[in-house]
Amino acid sequence: MDIVVGVADLKVSNRPEHVLVTHALGSCIGVAIYDPLARVGGMLHFMLPESSLDLSRAQENPYMFADTGVPRLFRECYSLGAQKQRLRVKVAGGSQLFGRPEHFQVGRRNYNVLIHGEDVGGNKARTLCLEIATGKTWVRTTDNQIYEL
Amino acid sequence: MSLIPQILRSLKNLPPFPMVAQRALMLVNKPELSIQELVEVIKFDPAITANVLRIANSAYFGLRREIHSLHQALLLLGTQELLKIIIASGATRLFANATPGYFSERHGLWRHSVSCGLMADLLARELTWAERATCFTAGLLHDIGKLVLSLFVDQKFAAIMEVVETQGKPFHRAEKEILGVDHAEIGGEMARIWDFPDRLRLVIRHHHLDCPESFSDNLVLLIHLADVLVLMFGQNLGREGLAYDGYPEVLKHFGLRERDLEKILLHFGCIWNDAQVFFGLIGSAHGLQCAHRG
Ligand SMILES: [Fe+2]
Ligand SMILES: [Fe+2]
Repeated sequence: MDIVVGVADLKVSNRPEHVLVTHALGSCIGVAIYDPLARVGGMLHFMLPESSLDLSRAQENPYMFADTGVPRLFRECYSLGAQKQRLRVKVAGGSQLFGRPEHFQVGRRNYNVLIHGEDVGGNKARTLCLEIATGKTWVRTTDNQIYEL
Repeated sequence: MSLIPQILRSLKNLPPFPMVAQRALMLVNKPELSIQELVEVIKFDPAITANVLRIANSAYFGLRREIHSLHQALLLLGTQELLKIIIASGATRLFANATPGYFSERHGLWRHSVSCGLMADLLARELTWAERATCFTAGLLHDIGKLVLSLFVDQKFAAIMEVVETQGKPFHRAEKEILGVDHAEIGGEMARIWDFPDRLRLVIRHHHLDCPESFSDNLVLLIHLADVLVLMFGQNLGREGLAYDGYPEVLKHFGLRERDLEKILLHFGCIWNDAQVFFGLIGSAHGLQCAHRG
Protein backbone atom coordinates (compact mmCIF):
# COMPACT_ATOMS: atom_id res chain seq x y z
CA MET A 1 0.00 0.00 0.00
CA ASP A 2 1.34 3.42 -0.96
CA ILE A 3 1.69 5.98 1.80
CA VAL A 4 2.01 9.38 0.16
CA VAL A 5 4.40 11.92 1.63
CA GLY A 6 3.23 15.42 0.61
CA VAL A 7 5.27 18.60 0.18
CA ALA A 8 6.86 19.57 3.48
CA ASP A 9 5.71 16.33 4.99
CA LEU A 10 7.12 13.31 6.86
CA LYS A 11 5.95 9.70 7.18
CA VAL A 12 7.52 6.78 9.02
CA SER A 13 6.46 3.15 9.09
CA ASN A 14 7.34 -0.32 10.30
CA ARG A 15 4.59 -2.11 8.42
CA PRO A 16 5.90 -4.38 5.70
CA GLU A 17 2.97 -3.77 3.38
CA HIS A 18 3.78 -0.04 3.17
CA VAL A 19 5.63 1.74 0.41
CA LEU A 20 6.43 5.37 1.20
CA VAL A 21 6.14 7.56 -1.89
CA THR A 22 6.76 11.21 -2.57
CA HIS A 23 5.77 12.58 -5.96
CA ALA A 24 7.25 15.05 -8.39
CA LEU A 25 10.31 16.36 -6.61
CA GLY A 26 11.66 19.40 -8.42
CA SER A 27 14.09 21.53 -6.46
CA CYS A 28 12.71 19.99 -3.27
CA ILE A 29 14.50 17.03 -1.73
CA GLY A 30 13.19 13.66 -0.66
CA VAL A 31 15.17 11.84 2.04
CA ALA A 32 14.50 8.16 2.67
CA ILE A 33 16.10 6.38 5.62
CA TYR A 34 15.85 2.71 6.51
CA ASP A 35 17.04 0.33 9.21
CA PRO A 36 17.24 -3.15 7.65
CA LEU A 37 17.31 -4.95 10.99
CA ALA A 38 14.37 -3.21 12.61
CA ARG A 39 12.65 -2.87 9.22
CA VAL A 40 11.75 0.67 10.00
CA GLY A 41 11.79 3.39 7.39
CA GLY A 42 10.92 7.03 7.02
CA MET A 43 10.67 9.64 4.32
CA LEU A 44 10.85 13.43 4.42
CA HIS A 45 10.03 15.84 1.60
CA PHE A 46 11.47 19.23 2.41
CA MET A 47 11.53 22.41 0.33
CA LEU A 48 14.42 24.52 1.48
CA PRO A 49 17.74 24.18 3.28
CA GLU A 50 17.54 26.51 6.26
CA SER A 51 14.83 27.39 8.72
CA SER A 52 16.49 30.74 9.38
CA LEU A 53 14.58 31.89 6.30
CA ASP A 54 11.37 31.99 8.29
CA LEU A 55 11.48 30.78 11.87
CA SER A 56 7.79 31.07 12.56
CA ARG A 57 6.92 28.93 9.56
CA ALA A 58 9.56 26.44 10.62
CA GLN A 59 7.84 26.23 13.95
CA GLU A 60 4.45 25.61 12.37
CA ASN A 61 5.83 23.02 10.04
CA PRO A 62 9.42 21.86 10.64
CA TYR A 63 9.26 19.58 7.60
CA MET A 64 9.60 22.53 5.26
CA PHE A 65 13.31 22.84 5.96
CA ALA A 66 16.23 20.45 5.96
CA ASP A 67 17.73 21.64 9.22
CA THR A 68 14.50 21.23 11.17
CA GLY A 69 13.05 18.28 9.22
CA VAL A 70 15.98 15.87 8.99
CA PRO A 71 16.52 15.56 12.76
CA ARG A 72 12.79 14.86 13.13
CA LEU A 73 12.99 12.17 10.48
CA PHE A 74 15.72 10.38 12.40
CA ARG A 75 13.99 10.81 15.74
CA GLU A 76 10.70 9.42 14.46
CA CYS A 77 12.50 6.35 13.13
CA TYR A 78 14.35 5.84 16.43
CA SER A 79 11.03 5.86 18.19
CA LEU A 80 9.98 2.89 16.05
CA GLY A 81 13.15 1.03 17.03
CA ALA A 82 15.62 2.10 14.36
CA GLN A 83 19.26 2.61 15.38
CA LYS A 84 21.46 5.33 14.10
CA GLN A 85 24.44 3.25 13.00
CA ARG A 86 22.23 0.91 10.97
CA LEU A 87 20.30 3.57 9.10
CA ARG A 88 20.82 3.81 5.35
CA VAL A 89 20.20 7.29 3.96
CA LYS A 90 19.13 7.97 0.39
CA VAL A 91 18.38 11.26 -1.25
CA ALA A 92 16.68 12.40 -4.44
CA GLY A 93 15.61 15.70 -6.00
CA GLY A 94 17.33 19.08 -5.98
CA SER A 95 16.88 19.87 -9.64
CA GLN A 96 18.23 23.09 -11.09
CA LEU A 97 16.43 24.95 -13.81
CA PHE A 98 18.60 27.97 -14.23
CA GLY A 99 21.48 27.12 -16.50
CA ARG A 100 24.31 28.45 -14.36
CA PRO A 101 24.00 27.27 -10.80
CA GLU A 102 26.02 30.09 -9.28
CA HIS A 103 22.95 32.26 -9.75
CA PHE A 104 20.50 30.10 -8.00
CA GLN A 105 21.23 27.11 -5.91
CA VAL A 106 18.14 26.17 -3.97
CA GLY A 107 18.36 22.78 -5.64
CA ARG A 108 21.98 22.30 -4.77
CA ARG A 109 21.99 23.89 -1.34
CA ASN A 110 19.09 21.68 -0.40
CA TYR A 111 21.42 18.78 -0.47
CA ASN A 112 23.73 18.55 2.46
CA VAL A 113 23.45 15.28 4.41
CA LEU A 114 25.66 12.22 4.67
CA ILE A 115 24.28 9.63 2.31
CA HIS A 116 24.51 6.11 0.91
CA GLY A 117 22.66 6.58 -2.34
CA GLU A 118 21.53 9.58 -4.31
CA ASP A 119 20.00 10.90 -7.47
CA VAL A 120 20.33 14.63 -7.16
CA GLY A 121 20.62 17.74 -9.34
CA GLY A 122 20.26 18.03 -13.08
CA ASN A 123 16.88 18.88 -14.45
CA LYS A 124 14.84 15.78 -13.82
CA ALA A 125 11.56 15.47 -11.99
CA ARG A 126 11.60 12.54 -9.64
CA THR A 127 9.26 10.41 -7.61
CA LEU A 128 10.98 8.68 -4.69
CA CYS A 129 9.78 5.35 -3.26
CA LEU A 130 10.85 3.27 -0.24
CA GLU A 131 9.56 -0.24 0.34
CA ILE A 132 9.34 -0.93 4.08
CA ALA A 133 9.47 -4.75 3.74
CA THR A 134 12.87 -4.72 2.01
CA GLY A 135 14.34 -1.23 2.24
CA LYS A 136 14.48 -1.13 -1.53
CA THR A 137 14.59 2.52 -2.59
CA TRP A 138 14.06 3.74 -6.12
CA VAL A 139 13.46 6.83 -8.18
CA ARG A 140 11.05 7.16 -11.07
CA THR A 141 11.43 10.06 -13.50
CA THR A 142 8.66 11.70 -15.57
CA ASP A 143 9.72 9.73 -18.63
CA ASN A 144 9.18 6.54 -16.60
CA GLN A 145 12.78 5.55 -16.11
CA ILE A 146 13.44 3.76 -12.86
CA TYR A 147 16.71 3.79 -10.91
CA GLU A 148 17.40 1.90 -7.75
CA LEU A 149 19.37 3.90 -5.19
CA MET B 1 6.05 16.92 -42.97
CA SER B 2 4.71 20.00 -41.25
CA LEU B 3 1.43 19.87 -39.41
CA ILE B 4 0.96 23.62 -39.63
CA PRO B 5 -2.03 23.58 -42.02
CA GLN B 6 -3.89 21.11 -39.83
CA ILE B 7 -3.07 23.05 -36.67
CA LEU B 8 -4.25 26.31 -38.19
CA ARG B 9 -7.44 24.62 -39.32
CA SER B 10 -8.12 23.55 -35.73
CA LEU B 11 -7.93 27.21 -34.70
CA LYS B 12 -11.03 27.80 -36.81
CA ASN B 13 -13.04 25.66 -34.42
CA LEU B 14 -11.85 27.49 -31.36
CA PRO B 15 -14.66 27.90 -28.84
CA PRO B 16 -15.36 31.50 -27.80
CA PHE B 17 -13.54 32.88 -24.78
CA PRO B 18 -16.17 33.22 -22.04
CA MET B 19 -17.78 36.61 -22.42
CA VAL B 20 -17.69 37.63 -18.80
CA ALA B 21 -14.02 36.78 -18.46
CA GLN B 22 -13.34 38.67 -21.67
CA ARG B 23 -14.96 41.78 -20.30
CA ALA B 24 -13.14 41.39 -17.02
CA LEU B 25 -9.83 41.21 -18.89
CA MET B 26 -10.46 44.69 -20.23
CA LEU B 27 -11.00 46.03 -16.74
CA VAL B 28 -7.83 44.69 -15.15
CA ASN B 29 -5.82 47.62 -13.89
CA LYS B 30 -8.27 50.14 -15.13
CA PRO B 31 -7.79 53.04 -12.75
CA GLU B 32 -10.81 53.94 -10.64
CA LEU B 33 -12.85 50.93 -11.55
CA SER B 34 -16.17 51.26 -9.79
CA ILE B 35 -17.84 48.46 -7.96
CA GLN B 36 -20.99 49.07 -9.94
CA GLU B 37 -19.12 48.58 -13.24
CA LEU B 38 -17.86 45.27 -12.06
CA VAL B 39 -21.22 44.07 -10.81
CA GLU B 40 -22.64 44.94 -14.24
CA VAL B 41 -20.12 42.64 -15.85
CA ILE B 42 -20.95 39.55 -13.90
CA LYS B 43 -24.49 39.78 -12.75
CA PHE B 44 -25.97 38.20 -15.88
CA ASP B 45 -23.93 35.07 -15.63
CA PRO B 46 -25.33 33.00 -12.76
CA ALA B 47 -22.69 30.28 -13.02
CA ILE B 48 -19.90 32.79 -12.60
CA THR B 49 -21.69 34.54 -9.79
CA ALA B 50 -22.06 31.28 -7.94
CA ASN B 51 -18.42 30.47 -8.57
CA VAL B 52 -17.30 33.86 -7.38
CA LEU B 53 -19.16 33.41 -4.12
CA ARG B 54 -17.79 29.91 -3.63
CA ILE B 55 -14.23 31.04 -4.24
CA ALA B 56 -14.55 34.17 -2.14
CA ASN B 57 -15.75 31.99 0.73
CA SER B 58 -12.85 29.54 0.41
CA ALA B 59 -10.12 29.34 3.02
CA TYR B 60 -7.68 30.89 0.57
CA PHE B 61 -9.01 34.37 1.22
CA GLY B 62 -9.37 33.76 4.91
CA LEU B 63 -12.38 36.03 5.30
CA ARG B 64 -13.98 35.76 8.68
CA ARG B 65 -17.59 36.05 7.68
CA GLU B 66 -19.65 34.34 5.08
CA ILE B 67 -20.32 36.20 1.86
CA HIS B 68 -23.77 36.03 0.32
CA SER B 69 -23.78 38.68 -2.38
CA LEU B 70 -21.51 39.98 -5.08
CA HIS B 71 -21.62 43.38 -3.51
CA GLN B 72 -20.38 42.08 -0.21
CA ALA B 73 -17.61 40.12 -1.97
CA LEU B 74 -16.51 43.29 -3.71
CA LEU B 75 -16.40 45.30 -0.54
CA LEU B 76 -14.39 42.71 1.33
CA LEU B 77 -12.00 41.66 -1.42
CA GLY B 78 -11.66 44.76 -3.55
CA THR B 79 -12.14 45.09 -7.27
CA GLN B 80 -8.77 43.74 -8.43
CA GLU B 81 -9.03 40.61 -6.32
CA LEU B 82 -12.51 40.05 -7.64
CA LEU B 83 -11.40 40.46 -11.25
CA LYS B 84 -8.91 37.66 -10.68
CA ILE B 85 -11.68 35.41 -9.44
CA ILE B 86 -13.96 36.28 -12.35
CA ILE B 87 -11.29 35.63 -14.95
CA ALA B 88 -10.25 32.39 -13.30
CA SER B 89 -13.78 31.10 -13.02
CA GLY B 90 -14.46 32.01 -16.64
CA ALA B 91 -11.27 30.28 -17.73
CA THR B 92 -12.14 27.10 -15.82
CA ARG B 93 -14.52 26.20 -18.62
CA LEU B 94 -11.84 26.43 -21.26
CA PHE B 95 -9.46 24.34 -19.27
CA ALA B 96 -12.06 21.66 -18.54
CA ASN B 97 -10.76 19.35 -21.26
CA ALA B 98 -7.78 17.09 -20.77
CA THR B 99 -4.55 18.01 -22.59
CA PRO B 100 -2.99 14.58 -23.04
CA GLY B 101 -0.08 15.85 -25.13
CA TYR B 102 1.23 17.74 -22.13
CA PHE B 103 -0.28 16.23 -19.00
CA SER B 104 -1.28 12.69 -18.23
CA GLU B 105 -3.40 13.95 -15.39
CA ARG B 106 -6.72 15.38 -16.55
CA HIS B 107 -6.55 18.76 -14.87
CA GLY B 108 -2.80 19.10 -15.30
CA LEU B 109 -2.85 22.20 -17.46
CA TRP B 110 -5.36 23.95 -15.25
CA ARG B 111 -3.27 23.20 -12.20
CA HIS B 112 -0.15 24.49 -13.93
CA SER B 113 -1.96 27.62 -15.10
CA VAL B 114 -3.39 28.42 -11.69
CA SER B 115 0.01 27.82 -10.08
CA CYS B 116 1.64 30.15 -12.52
CA GLY B 117 -0.97 32.85 -11.91
CA LEU B 118 -0.44 32.64 -8.17
CA MET B 119 3.33 32.59 -8.52
CA ALA B 120 3.25 35.65 -10.79
CA ASP B 121 1.08 37.39 -8.23
CA LEU B 122 3.57 36.59 -5.45
CA LEU B 123 6.49 37.79 -7.54
CA ALA B 124 4.67 41.02 -8.32
CA ARG B 125 4.15 41.53 -4.63
CA GLU B 126 7.80 40.84 -3.87
CA LEU B 127 8.81 43.36 -6.52
CA THR B 128 6.19 45.82 -5.25
CA TRP B 129 4.47 46.14 -8.59
CA ALA B 130 1.05 47.70 -8.55
CA GLU B 131 -0.29 45.49 -11.33
CA ARG B 132 -0.80 42.29 -9.43
CA ALA B 133 -4.06 41.37 -11.14
CA THR B 134 -2.41 41.76 -14.54
CA CYS B 135 0.38 39.45 -13.45
CA PHE B 136 -2.05 36.88 -12.15
CA THR B 137 -4.06 36.92 -15.36
CA ALA B 138 -1.01 36.65 -17.59
CA GLY B 139 0.27 33.71 -15.55
CA LEU B 140 -3.10 32.04 -15.71
CA LEU B 141 -3.36 32.33 -19.49
CA HIS B 142 0.27 32.05 -20.64
CA ASP B 143 -0.03 28.45 -21.86
CA ILE B 144 -3.44 28.61 -23.61
CA GLY B 145 -1.71 27.49 -26.79
CA LYS B 146 -1.41 24.06 -25.20
CA LEU B 147 -5.19 23.70 -25.31
CA VAL B 148 -5.02 23.56 -29.09
CA LEU B 149 -1.62 22.00 -29.60
CA SER B 150 -2.12 19.13 -27.16
CA LEU B 151 -3.58 16.68 -29.67
CA PHE B 152 -0.77 17.28 -32.13
CA VAL B 153 1.88 16.99 -29.46
CA ASP B 154 0.29 13.76 -28.33
CA GLN B 155 0.51 12.33 -31.85
CA LYS B 156 4.17 13.25 -32.18
CA PHE B 157 5.23 12.89 -28.57
CA ALA B 158 7.90 10.27 -29.20
CA ALA B 159 9.52 12.30 -31.97
CA ILE B 160 9.49 15.47 -29.83
CA MET B 161 11.04 13.70 -26.86
CA GLU B 162 13.72 12.28 -29.09
CA VAL B 163 14.77 15.80 -30.06
CA VAL B 164 14.73 16.77 -26.36
CA GLU B 165 16.92 13.83 -25.44
CA THR B 166 19.35 13.68 -28.34
CA GLN B 167 19.84 17.42 -28.82
CA GLY B 168 19.24 18.60 -25.26
CA LYS B 169 16.67 21.15 -26.43
CA PRO B 170 13.92 22.46 -24.20
CA PHE B 171 10.53 20.96 -24.96
CA HIS B 172 8.97 23.96 -26.70
CA ARG B 173 11.87 24.15 -29.14
CA ALA B 174 11.53 20.49 -29.95
CA GLU B 175 7.81 21.06 -30.39
CA LYS B 176 8.53 23.74 -32.96
CA GLU B 177 11.03 21.55 -34.74
CA ILE B 178 8.66 18.61 -35.11
CA LEU B 179 5.30 20.37 -35.53
CA GLY B 180 6.52 23.51 -37.28
CA VAL B 181 4.96 25.74 -34.64
CA ASP B 182 5.05 25.90 -30.82
CA HIS B 183 2.41 26.50 -28.16
CA ALA B 184 3.53 30.09 -27.56
CA GLU B 185 2.93 30.99 -31.21
CA ILE B 186 -0.43 29.23 -31.27
CA GLY B 187 -1.34 30.90 -27.97
CA GLY B 188 -0.51 34.28 -29.51
CA GLU B 189 -2.86 33.50 -32.40
CA MET B 190 -5.61 32.46 -30.00
CA ALA B 191 -5.18 35.70 -28.09
CA ARG B 192 -5.62 37.57 -31.37
CA ILE B 193 -8.77 35.64 -32.23
CA TRP B 194 -10.14 36.23 -28.76
CA ASP B 195 -9.29 39.91 -28.78
CA PHE B 196 -7.16 39.88 -25.67
CA PRO B 197 -5.46 43.14 -24.75
CA ASP B 198 -2.22 43.51 -26.73
CA ARG B 199 0.06 43.29 -23.78
CA LEU B 200 -1.45 40.01 -22.65
CA ARG B 201 -1.17 38.62 -26.15
CA LEU B 202 2.52 39.47 -26.25
CA VAL B 203 3.16 37.78 -22.92
CA ILE B 204 1.54 34.63 -24.21
CA ARG B 205 3.49 34.81 -27.45
CA HIS B 206 6.87 35.47 -25.84
CA HIS B 207 6.86 33.71 -22.47
CA HIS B 208 9.63 31.32 -23.53
CA LEU B 209 11.88 34.30 -24.36
CA ASP B 210 12.73 32.98 -27.80
CA CYS B 211 13.37 36.27 -29.59
CA PRO B 212 14.79 39.71 -28.79
CA GLU B 213 11.34 41.34 -28.51
CA SER B 214 10.64 39.00 -25.63
CA PHE B 215 12.86 41.12 -23.43
CA SER B 216 11.13 44.41 -24.03
CA ASP B 217 8.36 44.07 -21.44
CA ASN B 218 9.01 43.29 -17.78
CA LEU B 219 5.73 41.43 -17.60
CA VAL B 220 7.00 38.85 -20.10
CA LEU B 221 10.10 38.33 -17.97
CA LEU B 222 8.06 38.02 -14.82
CA ILE B 223 5.81 35.36 -16.33
CA HIS B 224 8.82 33.47 -17.58
CA LEU B 225 10.24 33.49 -14.08
CA ALA B 226 6.94 32.41 -12.56
CA ASP B 227 6.79 29.52 -15.03
CA VAL B 228 10.29 28.37 -14.05
CA LEU B 229 9.61 28.65 -10.33
CA VAL B 230 6.41 26.67 -10.62
CA LEU B 231 8.30 23.93 -12.41
CA MET B 232 10.99 23.99 -9.74
CA PHE B 233 8.36 23.55 -7.09
CA GLY B 234 7.66 20.36 -8.97
CA GLN B 235 4.18 19.39 -7.93
CA ASN B 236 2.38 19.73 -11.23
CA LEU B 237 4.79 18.52 -13.80
CA GLY B 238 3.70 17.56 -17.26
CA ARG B 239 4.97 14.82 -19.51
CA GLU B 240 7.92 16.94 -20.58
CA GLY B 241 9.23 16.97 -17.02
CA LEU B 242 11.81 19.68 -16.51
CA ALA B 243 12.99 20.08 -20.10
CA TYR B 244 12.99 23.85 -19.78
CA ASP B 245 15.58 26.58 -20.07
CA GLY B 246 15.53 29.15 -17.30
CA TYR B 247 17.27 32.44 -17.99
CA PRO B 248 19.34 33.46 -14.96
CA GLU B 249 19.60 36.95 -16.50
CA VAL B 250 15.97 37.44 -15.55
CA LEU B 251 16.83 37.14 -11.87
CA LYS B 252 19.56 39.71 -12.23
CA HIS B 253 17.26 41.99 -14.16
CA PHE B 254 14.81 42.03 -11.26
CA GLY B 255 17.57 42.19 -8.65
CA LEU B 256 16.36 38.97 -7.04
CA ARG B 257 18.82 37.03 -4.97
CA GLU B 258 18.66 33.42 -4.07
CA ARG B 259 17.20 34.12 -0.67
CA ASP B 260 14.37 36.15 -2.20
CA LEU B 261 13.48 33.23 -4.41
CA GLU B 262 13.61 30.84 -1.49
CA LYS B 263 11.14 33.06 0.30
CA ILE B 264 8.85 33.15 -2.70
CA LEU B 265 8.98 29.37 -3.09
CA LEU B 266 8.23 29.00 0.59
CA HIS B 267 5.29 31.34 0.39
CA PHE B 268 4.02 29.54 -2.67
CA GLY B 269 4.28 26.21 -0.85
CA CYS B 270 2.10 27.64 1.89
CA ILE B 271 -0.70 28.94 -0.30
CA TRP B 272 -0.60 26.06 -2.74
CA ASN B 273 -2.99 23.76 -0.94
CA ASP B 274 -5.59 26.39 -0.20
CA ALA B 275 -5.30 27.61 -3.74
CA GLN B 276 -6.16 24.21 -5.12
CA VAL B 277 -9.32 24.18 -3.11
CA PHE B 278 -9.93 27.70 -4.30
CA PHE B 279 -9.87 26.61 -7.93
CA GLY B 280 -11.79 23.42 -7.45
CA LEU B 281 -8.81 21.14 -8.00
CA ILE B 282 -9.19 19.15 -4.81
CA GLY B 283 -12.00 18.73 -2.34
CA SER B 284 -10.46 19.94 0.88
CA ALA B 285 -7.20 21.11 2.30
CA HIS B 286 -4.66 18.69 3.68
CA GLY B 287 -0.89 18.48 3.82
CA LEU B 288 0.93 21.73 4.35
CA GLN B 289 0.09 23.50 7.54
CA CYS B 290 0.45 27.23 7.37
CA ALA B 291 -1.45 29.88 9.15
CA HIS B 292 -0.07 32.94 7.41
CA ARG B 293 -1.33 34.00 4.08
CA GLY B 294 -2.01 37.11 2.10
FE1 LIG C 1 4.85 27.55 -22.10
FE1 LIG D 1 4.00 27.12 -18.55
